[in-house]
Amino acid sequence: MKKLVSRSLIIIILSGFIAIVYFSMSRVYPFNWDVAVKYYRLFLMGLEMTGKLTAVSLGFALLTGVVIALLRTSKIQVFQDLGTIYVWFFRNMPLLVIILLIYYGLGSVFSIDRFWAGVFSLAFFEGAYIGEIFRAGIEAVPKGEIEAGEAMGLYSYQVTLSIVFPQAFRISIPPLIGQMVSLIKDSSLVSVIALGDLTMRARQVGTQTLASLEAYLILAGIYLAMTSILSYVGRKLERRLAIP
Amino acid sequence: MNNTVLIMNNICKSFGSTSVLRNVSFKVNRGDVLAILGRSGAGKTTLLRTINYLIEPNSGEIYFNGTKVINRRQTIRSVRSKIGFVFQNFNLIRHLNAIDNVALPLVKVKNMNWRQARKQAEKALIDVDLADKTSNYPSQLSGGQQQRVGIARALVMEPDLLLFDEPTSALDPSLVGEVMNVMRKLSLLGKTMIVVTHEMRFAENTANRIIFMENGEIIEDTDPISFFNSDSVEIKGFLNSVSEAV
Repeated sequence: MKKLVSRSLIIIILSGFIAIVYFSMSRVYPFNWDVAVKYYRLFLMGLEMTGKLTAVSLGFALLTGVVIALLRTSKIQVFQDLGTIYVWFFRNMPLLVIILLIYYGLGSVFSIDRFWAGVFSLAFFEGAYIGEIFRAGIEAVPKGEIEAGEAMGLYSYQVTLSIVFPQAFRISIPPLIGQMVSLIKDSSLVSVIALGDLTMRARQVGTQTLASLEAYLILAGIYLAMTSILSYVGRKLERRLAIP
Repeated sequence: MNNTVLIMNNICKSFGSTSVLRNVSFKVNRGDVLAILGRSGAGKTTLLRTINYLIEPNSGEIYFNGTKVINRRQTIRSVRSKIGFVFQNFNLIRHLNAIDNVALPLVKVKNMNWRQARKQAEKALIDVDLADKTSNYPSQLSGGQQQRVGIARALVMEPDLLLFDEPTSALDPSLVGEVMNVMRKLSLLGKTMIVVTHEMRFAENTANRIIFMENGEIIEDTDPISFFNSDSVEIKGFLNSVSEAV
């Protein structure tokens, strides 16, 4: 009940504040919301590209993450070091630089498609973070349970698959959802290589109609909606898979 | 069938420069209930863990059911599948409910399907008086109940030997009895058991043999009556310190 009252109050105050800002702005700036209606196709195209890009990158990023986590938790020193170097490199490099390096840099040597340049930039980058999330999840599984599995006579791959992974995955869900939200947000950077994602389309609408504020407000609204929905689904999933 | 289940021959183990087991040798016959006693740090738990190779000894030989145990994947798997291990901290798998915890080794080691395995697991849980808790997760069970699930998990594989590593040390005093009762029942059924414990009543009333360890060595290997009436200075000292603690 308290929560409901507090939230309603915040929504009322916030809406009031936005309304005041909007109406005082509209006295000096004639808002032209027709762009949204007229150019909705461009926004839809951008949304489709961002969706596709995020989904494919996420798939590769999860795969990269699993490999990195396995390397980092390996008992073999060389594997551990390889994982560490990977994480060090991609976590210390701006995503924008990675995108430029892969598309323009590597692109001048090999022919790389824009879409795949975007996918691999995002996947390599987010994979480093996801790898660390999985590693923390794996390390959080109590040693005693692993020992119990060994004492039962399970092979070590069976211990990993039936005892470690199911728990590590559950532990990883909240930070993983956060990382997926980051992936959606970070995907806006691929607009620099003219991959027709949502951000690029909004910029297009803005320059063509001179209604930049409206176009970017719509863009912001779409990102906010996408990330909020994902966070909500994530919370549901977390609750559903929680260990009692 | 041969009457000897386990032979430990000159087992040595050290961690770094600390020698934890020094030339430990003993035999266990079918139906023995062997209590291993000694102060903390005497090497009891390490000894128990070398039996199923959770800890690999530095030297010495282990024979289980007449076969020499060597560090090979298949050998260790087959030995472990015939030795039940009950841990001090239960070590149940948190994301599985009681019945799946017990069914897991049947599925993974004996290659049973889950349906069959759950049927057997249910029987094992009934044997430890947990018929009504089969679908509870570890966090929904008391310590004593968790430990009984741990015992059921060991029993379900029909092991030739059961190892207990201080099975009641992590329990509230009020919950010790229920676990002890199950263990007493197992001894009456003729199960072969090695129990590292601080429960003197168990050693006195249920065990038929006692091994007393100090500094990684076996000081005494005898029957309970002789042990509790021993003239040995070490044993008297140990028994005094235990009774003072109680």
